[in-house]
Parts: sequence; C-alpha cells; structure tokens
Amino acid sequence: MRVRLLCIGCAAWLVVGSAWAAERALSVTIYADNLALVQDRRDIDVKEGRQRIEFTEVSGQIRPETVSLAAADISIIEQNFDFDLLTPAKLMEKAVGQEITIVRVNPATGAETREQAQVLATNGGVVLKIGQRIEVLRDDGLPVRVIFSKVPDNLRARPTLSVSIIGARAGTRRATLSYLTPGLGWKADYVALYNESDSKIDVQGWVTLTNSSGTTYDNAQTLLVAGSPSQVDGGSTNNYRPPPRRSNLQTPGTESGNRERLGDYYLYPLGERTTIANLQTKQVSFLDVHGVPAEHGYEFRNRWLGTAEMPVSAKSIYSFSTSAHAGLGDQLPAGVLRFYMRDKRGDPQFIGESRIDHTPMGSTLSLATGDAFDVKVQAVVEKRTRIATFDWQTDMRYELTNALPRSVVVKLRQEGLWGDSSIKAESQKSVRSSAEVAEWAVTVPANGKTTLTASFETRY
Amino acid sequence: MRATLSVCAMLGLAIGAALQMASVHAAEILAEPPSDLIVTVYRAPYRSSGSINLNYLGGFALVTETRTVRLPTGTSRVRFEGVADGIEPASVIITGFAGGVIEKNRDAGLLSPSALIASTSGKPVELLRTNRKTGKTERMSGTLLSDAGGGVVLETGQGIEALRCSGLPETLSFEPVSGLSARPTLSVEVRSPSAQTKQVTLSYLSRGFDWAADYTATLSEDGKSFDLGAWVTLANSNGVGFPSAHTQVVAGRVNRENGEVEPIDIGGPVLAQCWPRGSTSDAPMILRFERSRDFDSMKAIAGISAAAPAMLQESVVVTAQKVAQEQLGDLKLYRVPERTTLAGRQSKQVRLMDRSSIPVNTVYGADVEVDEDDAAATPAHRLLRTKNTAANHLGLPLPSGSVAVFGAAGGRRLLEHESNLRDIAVDEEFEINMGESPDVQVTANQEKVSIDPAQGLLPLVPGVSLRSAKLSAANRVAISNARASGIEFELRLRLEAGARVVRADHALSTKNGRPLFRLKVPANNTVTIRYQIEHTGDRILRTP
Repeated sequence: MRVRLLCIGCAAWLVVGSAWAAERALSVTIYADNLALVQDRRDIDVKEGRQRIEFTEVSGQIRPETVSLAAADISIIEQNFDFDLLTPAKLMEKAVGQEITIVRVNPATGAETREQAQVLATNGGVVLKIGQRIEVLRDDGLPVRVIFSKVPDNLRARPTLSVSIIGARAGTRRATLSYLTPGLGWKADYVALYNESDSKIDVQGWVTLTNSSGTTYDNAQTLLVAGSPSQVDGGSTNNYRPPPRRSNLQTPGTESGNRERLGDYYLYPLGERTTIANLQTKQVSFLDVHGVPAEHGYEFRNRWLGTAEMPVSAKSIYSFSTSAHAGLGDQLPAGVLRFYMRDKRGDPQFIGESRIDHTPMGSTLSLATGDAFDVKVQAVVEKRTRIATFDWQTDMRYELTNALPRSVVVKLRQEGLWGDSSIKAESQKSVRSSAEVAEWAVTVPANGKTTLTASFETRY
Repeated sequence: MRATLSVCAMLGLAIGAALQMASVHAAEILAEPPSDLIVTVYRAPYRSSGSINLNYLGGFALVTETRTVRLPTGTSRVRFEGVADGIEPASVIITGFAGGVIEKNRDAGLLSPSALIASTSGKPVELLRTNRKTGKTERMSGTLLSDAGGGVVLETGQGIEALRCSGLPETLSFEPVSGLSARPTLSVEVRSPSAQTKQVTLSYLSRGFDWAADYTATLSEDGKSFDLGAWVTLANSNGVGFPSAHTQVVAGRVNRENGEVEPIDIGGPVLAQCWPRGSTSDAPMILRFERSRDFDSMKAIAGISAAAPAMLQESVVVTAQKVAQEQLGDLKLYRVPERTTLAGRQSKQVRLMDRSSIPVNTVYGADVEVDEDDAAATPAHRLLRTKNTAANHLGLPLPSGSVAVFGAAGGRRLLEHESNLRDIAVDEEFEINMGESPDVQVTANQEKVSIDPAQGLLPLVPGVSLRSAKLSAANRVAISNARASGIEFELRLRLEAGARVVRADHALSTKNGRPLFRLKVPANNTVTIRYQIEHTGDRILRTP
C-alpha cells in the first residue's frame, strides 16, 4: 500500500518533470505596456484517443482566452485554466464524502493508532464519521494526523493550464503553446554623461525588463517591441486629453535606421537566451554612443498674467540630436534619460532626469533636467489698462538674474497669447513662435541682470 | 515492488539533478564588500523650502561603490550583496568589466521562511516530527506539493499531509537553495576572457535619503544685524549603512520622473494555514479577511520608507567640520571634507556656514484688499529683509531649509520665530518672515463709493447689452503702532485688473507690479492713509 502510493506520486512527478526537462524552448515577446506574448515549445507525450494534457509553469497571470496550442495530429476538445489552489483547507473540502486515514498519537506513550474515517463536513470545523460514530476532528485538542491518499485532480500548487485533446496517433510530438500575459513589461533607461568642457555627451541605453507575473521564464529567447498594441480592456480612449506638458521632442526626425521593424514598431531582440526570474528586474544594453554634441541652455515659461513676488529659477535644458550625423544615430524607445556630470573630484554626479517618448531617428530632443540655482526670472504684471471694453493693455516686466561667473542666454517664453493678441512695444525683439507664444532669447551677463519689458494688447 | 520504488526514486533524483545543472549555467561569484563609497544626497524634488521630515524622507541619493571582483574565465554571475534597500534598479551603472556586461539583474526575493518554502515548492524536502514524550525526532522525506494561500501541503511515503495541522511538533528541513540572499542584492552576468581580479564601480540611485539646511539667525540687541549659522542635516532611512564614505549633498531642484520602483519582497513567516479547526465548544465563527500576497508586497514597498522612522530618531550625530561648496552644472554641491559614516537609519549634521553682523532691515507689512465689508483690525507681519551680498557679510548660495530666529531678552536667548527659506542665489534679496505682530494693527475701510453709469450701452446680441460703469471708491487704512519705538511700514494694495489709484495723501510707489505705500509709524501712534481708486466695471443687461 505504502509503496504503491509513493510510486503514484513519483510517477506524477516524473510526468511533470519530463514535460519540463525535455526539449523546451521558450520565447517571450514583451511589449512596452505590461503585456507579453509567451511562446512555449515542449515535447508532449500523446496517447491515441481522448486525454488531458497539463501545462505547468505557465504565467500565473495568463490570459486563458488568448491561449492557442499547436501540435501535429491532435484535435482540441476544450481547454481549462485551473486556479483552484492546493491548500490544506481545499484538500479537506474536496475530501468531503471520502475516506481519509487518521493517526491518533497517545500523548502519554507516543503510541500511534490508525483509523479510517469519512469526512462529513468542513464547515467551521471538520466532522468525521469513524465506523458508526461521528466525531469532530481534534475536538479534544489532542494530536491527530490526517493522511489523504491523493491530491484531487484540479487542485494545483500553481495555476495550471489543462487541455483536453483527441490524439490521432500515439507518440511524442512537438507542441507550441502561446498566450498573452500581463506582468511582464519593459522600458528603456538611458544614462547620459555630460562633459562640460567640450559640451559632449556619452549615452548608454539599457532596456529594463520587469517580471511580476509569478513565474520564472528559463532560458527564454527574448524580443522587446517598442510600442503598445492597443488592448480592448483598459485601453485609453481619446476623449480625455491630458494637460499639455513641456514637449521634449523639438523636431521629429525623418531618418530610418537598420533596426528590425514589426509594422510601425521597432524590435529589440536580446542577443542571448536569458532567464527572466519572477520578481526580477533585468537590464540589457542596447545603445552605447560616445561624444555626441549637446547644447546646454536655460528656459523660462510664463503663463498669461503670471506674476511673481520673488524670483523663480529657470529650467536647465540639455538638447541633442538623434540623427545618424552628429547625433545618437538611433531610434530611442520611450524611457527615462538620466543625466550625470563629473564633479571637481572627477566622480560622476546625478544632475536630473527627463522622460522621453518613442523618438524617431534624426529628431532633436530638448530635455529639462531641473532648476538652475543661479539663473532666475521674476515675471511681473506691471500694469493692466483697459483701453476699451474688449481691449486691454498689459505691461510686463521680466527681471532675469544670473549669479554664475559667465553670461548665459535664457529662452524666455510668454504663453497664453491666443487670439489676435499683439505686442505693442518691447525692449528686445521677440519671435512669435506661434499665435500662443512670444519668445525672447535674453542674454544675462555674468553676475548681472537684464530687464526685459513688453507691452501686450489683448482682447481680454 | 521495492525495486520499482528505488528505480523511481533514482530517476526522480537524476532529473532533479539535471534541472539543477540547467539552471546554473554560469559560475556564481560574490563581489567583495565596498572598499570605497561615495554618497551624494539630493533633496526631495517637490520641497522648495523647509526642513526634512524624518518620518518620510522624500529625497534620494546617488551611491557609488568600488568593489573587488575575482573573475574566472568564461561567463559568471557576479553578486553584489548589501546594496541600499531603496535601490532603483533601473538606474544602476556598472563600469570596470573589460569583457562587458551581458545583463544586470536585481532579484527582489530575500531569504525568508516564506521565500524558502516558495523556492522548494515541487521539490524534495524533509519533514521533521518530534515525539513530545520520547523526544525522538522522526525524519520523513517527501515532496513539498504546494505553498499556495499560506498553507503547506506535503507528500510523504504515507500519503498527502498538511504541515502543522496535527498538533504535533512539526517542521521542514530544506536542501540548500541558491538565488536567495539575506540582503538586497544586485547581480551582473559578465564574460571574461581570462581569470582576473577587477576593481568595479557600481553606482545607483536609492530612495530613503534627504537633506536640508537648518539655519539659526541670532538678532543683535538693537535688531539692526544678525548672525547666521547653518547645519546641513542629512538622513538615511535605509537599513544599509555607508561606512567611511565621501559624502556630498546637492542643492537645487533636479527633475525626477515619478516612476514606480519595483518592490522588494521582504518575505514573511511560514503561516501553515490549516483546514477549519472549529470544535464543539467554539464560539460562533467570526469572518476574517485572509492575508493575501498583495498585502505582503504593499508592506514591502512601505517597509522601505515607512518602517524606518521609529528607529530613525535613535541616533543623531553632530560633527563640527564645515562643508566645501562647488558648482555642479546648474546645481550646488557641498562636500563633507572628511570621510564620514552615514549609518543606516541615522540623521547627521555637518556645519554649512557661520556668518556674523549681517545688516538687516526690520519692516512691518500688510496686504490690503478693500471691499464693501467693514473690516476688522488685522495684525501686520514683521519681516527681516536683507540682501545676499559680500558687503552684507554673505554673498554665498543659501540652500533652502528652515530658519529659526533667536533674539535676546533680559540677557536670555529666546526663540522668536521659525520659518522656511527657499534657495537663495548670490546678490538676491530675501526676507525672513517673523510672523504676525499684534502690536501693529491694520484696519481698512471703504469711506465712499460712487458709480457713474454714463458710460453707454454696447449691444451684444438683440435684447442683450453690455453696460460699463465707472466705479470710484475712497478708502481709508489706519495703522496703529503700540510699540515703544517708531517702525517702518509697507502697505501693499491688491487691486482689480484695470483699477488704479487716482489720489492719495501719502507718497505712492510700486513693487512687483503692485501699488505700495512706504511710511513711518511713530511710537504709540496711529497713521491713517486715504486714497481713491477708479475702475471700470461691466455688467450684462437685458434691453427691451
């Protein structure tokens, strides 16, 4: 009896083990938006006729409706995703009406007494029928071991996919299981080291892969897709427009690279097979460029009628090109770019980060890394005069200060000029980059200040 | 029968061994502890002024570690143990490997009882059962079938059993596991053409740090100057300490994108939940929420920042060396001159500056917006105003923080007020707000309002017109001074767009685009300002 039981367990383990250890090839395609396509190729043993095949080690967050199984000479009857987990409570619940073995241990002598019992109910406590008597399990608090003869069919340690098939012939064959799963995602992370003396940056790009799907993918061939295929559920609609933020992309590029594409997405295959462990963050390099020319400048945006009681720091801006000529020479998948700069001792120090979207090759990026300590702007509404009912004159004064020992140029933008607003007078010529924005490039001398005034005529 | 059994067991073992081999394809190397450490602390990006909050450190740090690694030939997995708990894995930079880094990993699973069980699921394990009477321990080998839902199910030679449901002393004995480490660990897969010893630099951003400047200003007896001293207060809420590190702090706001940091699974105890164990003498069952995995990971996220504070206050180290300032791009870097130890869950103070006899102007001020309502008297604010110049014994960047102003009364030093200070660049004027002064009260009233409707009608659409009317208001502001000395006073007006002051009995100037009266209020006296404002208002009317 005892030997037979062990062998059943052992055989079950062997079956599972063999499906796993035999020729198994995993390939994982990860999209940028927490979605992955897993293709799992295994050798399965198929008998002739109707049978059930189990696939363990699938993603814990598998979307069962996306599962497809392909193998020669089989036809699929149905597929089930069992997520009833094997716990002691479930084990007892499934044993209701069945026989279990109880082993009573005598607390005085340590002697064991075995009895067969039938489980009647498990509501709140376990009620057993032993012979013709009814007892509550461990009602007296004395030790009683409970031994079950087998694990019920659909209780699993991990969520398991089972497929009922009809085999046309017996034999081992190659099966490919593919499914979509959330819990796997990736983004790009960039490291840019800015060299102040020659205004150049070195940029490294890493793909950062995260796995919270509950499963480890061993030795998987991994492909990353820079793009988010629209998903039916949870997909965004265009009804809501997020508030406008500072655009990092100054001019979109028009160059094509030699990276592999899928539709409009770029593909980033990892060079080697890799193991993506559960709860792991993994980084693999995809870009390493040195000595790209970069520009450092300052920018200040003032909203319409923005007036300040005290000076506000200008933004520190770094801009560079992703062109093949004098640039990074690559498409950049969306991610965060972190800027570093060497301090007086030569150690790289972090100076800020900025998020970029999927950026085509040949673009010009202009990224804000933070606020400048020494370059500040105070915008003041000096006077608002009503000329007529729908005609206002607004006198603005901008005080730009620079506590750096070198002169700087601040790109000053006055926003909110929609309509037929015009500039009546200004102390320096502006550029109207759009109907909305007037822009000045203001030079502020070393340890000095510059005052800019402008008078706007508006309809409100 | 017995033969079948042993063949089964052997096959199982062989497969188990094969699996072990497959998963360990690279040699596992442990990097030595850091031989050199650089820690640069940044302030919370959203805080423009004020001091740090030890209960929640919203800043971060750049940690740079130098470690020695002994590499064999070929591919190896180098483990860096003991990195900061708040590490942002995406920010890791590793330099110094000649053959190049194949991949970088951070495993969130730490060695804990629950992680041990989770990693043994489906694998052989030994069940230990001790007889209370005889003290004898029985060892039973079996397989751990499941650890789902906090309960443990085993298969032994006797059948299927659940852990710790029998009332007997039971525990598990595990085979050695790999891949679980006691402390947060980063691993790197590298390829080396030959066996060699390498100095490697590892740098990363980590949460759970913050710093601010804490100023103390001591006013002179006459109130015409003050001495300004400041500490840099920096704190680390990570469990990991940084012994003998080059330490810097950086002032200025740096951009941070609010990405999530993948949480560390700090693990938990073995729950070994059983089947319902109610007995005939139990009280009615109380429904209870089960502890789920999600809660655990939430706790893990919170654990990094929130579990820390209770222990944070334990040690506050005060040292007396002064930091050296240098320019870092558009930021200010302050270097602690000597190596210092920034221990886990510690706050530390280093001297930032000491300047004396800074001339200061004391000004009382009030913002007034006069409306139709009869206003009650409101106290004026007292401001200490000075300029950050070398002539004023300052002329150095002042990083943001809090300032405590002390004054002298009867030979005793007393705290007068505490307020926040923003980042102040060289040559910038700044004010320290000293709070409300009940001795100086401001009462503002409208004396007379007249509306002149003779401004015409502007038809908008048939039946609706816009009527403009000129409003003229005479206002009165009384400033009373109960102090025994005269004061300087600034009354700032807040006017509607298009409104202007047409007449006033005191000299009018402007500051920051707003009308301002500057005047002196003698001791124990009241001064009244009268002024008239004019402004054109619109009203939409129905016209027949």
